[in-house]
This record gives sequence, C-alpha cells and structure tokens, in this order.
Amino acid sequence: MAVPALRGSLSFAGQSLTIAAKDLRSELRTKEALNSSLAFALVILVLFSFAFEPTQEETRQISGGLLWLVFAFAGALILNRSFARELTNDCLDALVAAPISGAALFAGKAVANLALLLAVELVSLPVFGVFYNVPWTQQFWSLMLVLLLGTWGLTVVGTMFSALTVNLRLRELMLPMLLYPIMIPGLLAAVELTTPLVMGQPLEGSLIPWLRLLAAFDVIFTALALALVETVLVR
Amino acid sequence: MRQKIMLALTGMAALLLARNLYVIFLQLPDEIEQGAIYRIIFFHVPDAWTAFLCFFAAMVASVLYLARQDLKYDAFAASATEVGLAFGVANLVTGMIWGRVIWNIWWAWDARLTTMLVGLLIYAGYLMLRRAIEEPTERAKMAAVLSIFAFADVPVIFFSIRWWRNQQHPNAVVETGKMAPEMLRMLFTNWIPLLLLAVVFLMIRMEQERTQREIDALRRQVHSF
Amino acid sequence: MDSRNFAFMFYGFLAAWLILCAYVVSLASRERRLKREVERLRTLVEDKERAG
Repeated sequence: MAVPALRGSLSFAGQSLTIAAKDLRSELRTKEALNSSLAFALVILVLFSFAFEPTQEETRQISGGLLWLVFAFAGALILNRSFARELTNDCLDALVAAPISGAALFAGKAVANLALLLAVELVSLPVFGVFYNVPWTQQFWSLMLVLLLGTWGLTVVGTMFSALTVNLRLRELMLPMLLYPIMIPGLLAAVELTTPLVMGQPLEGSLIPWLRLLAAFDVIFTALALALVETVLVR
Repeated sequence: MRQKIMLALTGMAALLLARNLYVIFLQLPDEIEQGAIYRIIFFHVPDAWTAFLCFFAAMVASVLYLARQDLKYDAFAASATEVGLAFGVANLVTGMIWGRVIWNIWWAWDARLTTMLVGLLIYAGYLMLRRAIEEPTERAKMAAVLSIFAFADVPVIFFSIRWWRNQQHPNAVVETGKMAPEMLRMLFTNWIPLLLLAVVFLMIRMEQERTQREIDALRRQVHSF
Repeated sequence: MDSRNFAFMFYGFLAAWLILCAYVVSLASRERRLKREVERLRTLVEDKERAG
C-alpha cells in the first residue's frame, strides 16, 4: 500500500477523498470484499425464497425488511475489511501517523464503504426484483434517496465500529454484534420507508416522519463518529 | 468505613422495602381490571428508571475518562453498566410476567420493553467488548467510546420503536393511564430502596475493580523478577 | 385484597428479587476469586523479595 504524498495544504475534503480513492482502488484490485459481499447478498435472497416461498404480494409487503437484512449482513463483510485491510505491514499505524486528521481518515473510509455497499445494493435490487417477481421501480428516485440515507447510517456506524474492533481477535464476530443493535432505529426507519416505496406508494404523508428519523440518525451518528474517531485510532 | 456505609445503605433499603411491601400489599386499593398483578409495577417501573440512570451515569463517566484519562472513571463506567444491566433484566422479566397476565402472551413487542431489550443487547455488547481487550487503557478508551454511542442511541431507539408500534397498533392502550395519587407516590417511594441497593452494588463492584487493578500491578511485579 | 392472578404476581415479585439476588451472588463469587488471587500474588511477591 502506498500512502500518497499528502501536502499539509489539502483540505479536509481533499484528505478524505484521497483516502476514499485509495481504499476504492485497493478494493477494486482484488474485489475480495465486494465479491464476497455480493455473493452473500445473493445467497440470502435465494435462501429466503426457499425458506418462506412467499407469493408476490407477500414479498412486496416484507420487501423492506428482507432487503435491509440482506444489506446489513452483506455490509458487515465490507465494513469488517475497512480497517482490517490496514493491519498487514502496519499500514494502520502509518496512516494514523500521516499528516491527516483521524476524522479525515475515517470520512474517507466511510465514503469508500458507502460506495462499495451501494454498489452491492444496486446489484441486489434488480436480482430481488427478478427472483421474487416484484416490480420495485415505481418510486425509483425516492427509493434511491432512502437507500442512500440508510446505507450512510449503516456505513458511518459500521466504519466507526470497524475501527473500534480492528485489533480484536474476534473482530468478525464483535463488529456485527455491536453494530446491529445500535443500528436498530436506522434500519427500522429504512425498512418502514422501503416497503411502501417498493409497493409504489409515494414518499409523502405518514412516511415523512420516518425520513426525518433516518436523517436525524445519520446526522447524530456522523457527528459522534467524527468527534470520537481520533480517540479510537490514536494509540 | 466503606463497609459501614454499605451496611448502612443496605439496612436503610431493607427497612424501606419492608415498609413499602406492607403498604403495597395491605393498604393500597385494588386495581379494577388487573387484580393483584398490578402491584408488580412498583418494582417493574423503578427497575427501568434505575437501569437507565445507571447507563446515563456510565456515559458521563465515559466522557470524563476520555477527558481526564483516569482509570477510576472507567471502573465506574463498567460497574454502572453492569448494575444497570441487572436492573434492566429485572425490569424485562417483571414486564414479561405482567404481560403474560394482562395480554396472555409472554412478549408483545411493546415500545418500552422492546427498548429495554435493545438497550440490554447493546450494553451486553459493551461488557463483551471489555472482555475482549486485555490492555487496560485500550480497553477503557474503546469501552468509553462505545458507551457514548450506546447512550446517544437510547432515546432514538425509544422514539423509533414507539412510532413503529403506534403505526402498527394505533390507539393500543399500553400506557398505564392515570394513576391514583397514592399509587404514583408509591412508585417513587419504592424507587428509593432500589436506588440505595444500586449504589451498594456499585460500591462493591468499584472495590472489585480496584482489587483487579492491584492484581494487575502485582502480576507485573511478579513477572519483573 | 383481590386474589385474581395472585400466583403470577407472586412469581413476578420472586423473579425480580431472584435476579437481583443472582447478581449479588455473582458479585460475591467474583469477590472471593479476586481476594484469593490478591493473596496468592502478595505472598508470591513477598517470597521473591525475601529471596532476592
């Protein structure tokens, strides 16, 4: 891994984007996390169909729950790799020592994870539509907004906990275990928004409070993460 | 000295409890719909209050640890979280028994019990994280961050689940409704002995943390020979 | 006093207290374990100091 030469004059955004680009480049070279995450998502979608044999209408009514469970589980694989990939050759120490703030490092990784997880989701959605014979594009752009907000919440908290658990032996177990209960409000809001949107209901009326909750969740935890990540990363 | 304080607090708690139990069983009038079971509320609700107070205290201690780097704050956070978990479990179990009697089901996904359940999952995770990190300052730091995240989430969890339940079962009456004033008073009166007990548990646990630190120091000494 | 659901109420109170008692027991056993360890280490350190 080559730490790019960072001049002190790079802004926070510049630093974050450099880190994000580095992570994405590194991931796209091997596509390890991406492929395993995607495969996992597809397996869950298939398994669910075997397990429950839902009719088309039933599927539409649980679409939010099913999709976000898939995204949450598949996302854990990506999030785990986020800081874990820096452990070899002491790259993590080098990054922390580099002249960028911990917050910028975190933001960059979070953005990279967001991109990767969104990619997995955007492939999973059509597959879901095909497997379950569910038309899901009626409220496409609203759905994309919810996807973005929900995935951002998942990514921000997940990247934070990835940093928290990076040095643990049981990292792969501890990350999901800590992440999912904390994510419950965000996931709940995302689910409550996704199901009506997949069923064709527009994003208005009784759905707006959920949208506000999701946005508030994202804001609160992004702020907390940015404030605390430096503490977590510095030895 | 500590022993004396702890004994005194326990004694006060015991006396108050005895007095409260007398009032609860013999003096307070019956509740029309629920029969005898409603009296469990005088433990069920203060258990929850105690638990959340402990979790709040743990968060404050965590913030203080990050600010001051004194391991005593970390010890307090860990102890408070543990004591909070104990009272939280008591709240859950009494809630489930009450639900079994009132609604005939052991678990109804009602907003408050579900919030407590999620909270317990999060704080159990906190204790597991602590067990997974051996180095004391590293452990204190990571645990402190988690504690802050956890408590920030608690109100969000409560509101989201309550909104979720309201959407599913609009106008479902899960609230205890208006309480007779003497019952309301008993709710708070019975909180006091539970709080006293929580403080005693906390003191015991803090002392154990101190002993653990002494053990760590002694171990280092032994290994340095 | 109304005796409807009396059994459940009894179990309810019992459960609440059993849980707190279980916690006390776990505290006590932890206490014993810690005390034993401290004593063991203290004697170990004293022995080594005397020998060295």
